[in-house]
Amino acid sequence: MSSAVLSIPKYSAKIKWARRRKKIRRVARYVGIIGVCVVALFPVYWMVVGSFQPEDDTLSYPPSLFFKGFTFSAITSLFKDQPLASWIVHSFEVSAVTVVITVVLAIPGAYLLSRLRFRGSGAFGFLLLFTQLMPGAMIVVPELEWFRTLHGTNNLLALGVVYAAFSTPLGCWILKSSFDNVPNDIVDAGFVDGCSQMGTLRRVLIPLSRSGVVAVMVVAFFASWNDYLFASAFITERAKYTAGLGISTFIGNVVVQLYQLLAAGLIFSIIPVALYLFAQRHIVRGLTAGALK
Amino acid sequence: MQGRNRRSFTSASQKGAGGSSRLHLKLLAPILIFEGLFVVYPIVKGILIALQQTNYGTTKWVGFANFDKMFGDPYFWASVRTTFEFTLSMVVVWLSLGLGVALLTNLSFKGRTLVRGLLAIPWAVPDIPTVITFIVMLDPNFGILNHIASVLFGVNHHILWFSQSDLAFISIVAMLGWKGFPFFGLVILSSLSSIPDDLYEAAMVDGAGTLRRFRSITFPALVPTLSLLALLAFIFSFQQFTLIYLTTGGGPGQATSTLAIYIYNTAFQYFNYNYAAAMGVGGLVLALLGTIVFVVVERRVIRARYLQEGLA
Repeated sequence: MSSAVLSIPKYSAKIKWARRRKKIRRVARYVGIIGVCVVALFPVYWMVVGSFQPEDDTLSYPPSLFFKGFTFSAITSLFKDQPLASWIVHSFEVSAVTVVITVVLAIPGAYLLSRLRFRGSGAFGFLLLFTQLMPGAMIVVPELEWFRTLHGTNNLLALGVVYAAFSTPLGCWILKSSFDNVPNDIVDAGFVDGCSQMGTLRRVLIPLSRSGVVAVMVVAFFASWNDYLFASAFITERAKYTAGLGISTFIGNVVVQLYQLLAAGLIFSIIPVALYLFAQRHIVRGLTAGALK
Repeated sequence: MQGRNRRSFTSASQKGAGGSSRLHLKLLAPILIFEGLFVVYPIVKGILIALQQTNYGTTKWVGFANFDKMFGDPYFWASVRTTFEFTLSMVVVWLSLGLGVALLTNLSFKGRTLVRGLLAIPWAVPDIPTVITFIVMLDPNFGILNHIASVLFGVNHHILWFSQSDLAFISIVAMLGWKGFPFFGLVILSSLSSIPDDLYEAAMVDGAGTLRRFRSITFPALVPTLSLLALLAFIFSFQQFTLIYLTTGGGPGQATSTLAIYIYNTAFQYFNYNYAAAMGVGGLVLALLGTIVFVVVERRVIRARYLQEGLA
């Protein structure tokens, strides 16, 4: 750093020692970080390796840590032997329904929570929190009975509606904290310029809360893409399975090999992981806006 | 701060947009109707189903018979116990992993942004691929973890991770810990970055070491965030179904049968919807009670802490 200091002999030993300690600390820091990354990412790595490994190498013991060969056969055989493609399309349909309903309902909900004071606003907030608390398994039976009366079983649209019912409250809270972060002066300026309440919501609040809206969309998409519980109760026809439900039937299935199982998992993960990496900035900002206060 | 925001805004809106006093009803109606139809009504219906019994297609009102059965059912109480052991384990595991990762990635080093992004990936991996990957990694015949264990500890490599009762619980906690830690890490990290640097500089001038700085600055500043996260960890793990169901199905025996699993199996394996609905009501009450206890204890702890620090 500063050679002038080092040239003073009296201090040089001390400084050398301090430097060495600093260096050890830095090395330890990098070793720790790399170690944590390796452990944290190993399952993902293992899924990728297994998906592209030739059949024989997946089923050998001890398993090899690295790619021994490279093949797409697991993935191509999956699409050929199983109706995976149509299941994935179903998952997209269900997710689209969930995302649209959630965003459409969460915007007014968040506006109510963040910017309006009315009689019963506390009760409204509590209702939304309470819904959030609800464990899905506790309510799946009555929910199923209710949708049977509505003829909503084996129906992808109905499944999307159920997911939306459970992701809307969380959406409201996420978006509320985004709306809270918009300074009052800007909103008031909208009023001064002659906007109505809805006008400021549309022209001021929503454009300034883009991260929040993206976070709500991603959360709704994840909720519907990831679900197994409601799908397994609501969809009994194999032809109408969602991707998650269909792939779950591969687990413990003797027809599906371990390497195909991994490949199915990989295919199922690609979209959420890509979406996450793509929108990470928004998600983190949107989700932590509330927690930061 | 929030309260002040609202007030100043309401006054502006009342001056600006006349006749908007009913606006909240228009905004409220769709969401209330939707949530009422698909969340609130099913809860009510669940209570009604719990008070009935359907046998061979005929449904009768049976009063509290299903609840009586629940109170006398040793499997129900065993699953309640498992649920609380599980939620407690997850609170500890998630908070400590999250705190560790947050502290580590809060240090300055090259490629910090990349590392933060990479460490968040497990959170984005959906439940079913997580289950698949862990089943393959923990496979008693071909699993890599058996290999690692046999090399490191010299044990027989046919370890039945998911089918030995004590191991199954630990395996599930580890799997969930892996999947959930990034969320906790991210929230703690953002809370860490809001601690002002001059506090640390002042402490260093006063000669405080790393541990002392953590104990006197970092940790107290994180307490509100940590207590919120503890509640979230409780809720997340109480709700957890897929990761347990698809790996062990509640087994071996009842070892990993949480309330969610027991209810699901009662409904969809033994087809006793009425009893499952009754336990659903019971579970909901337990979740509410757990949350209330949590919130009360947290408030106490935080208040005590602030009083102690003289910040109240």
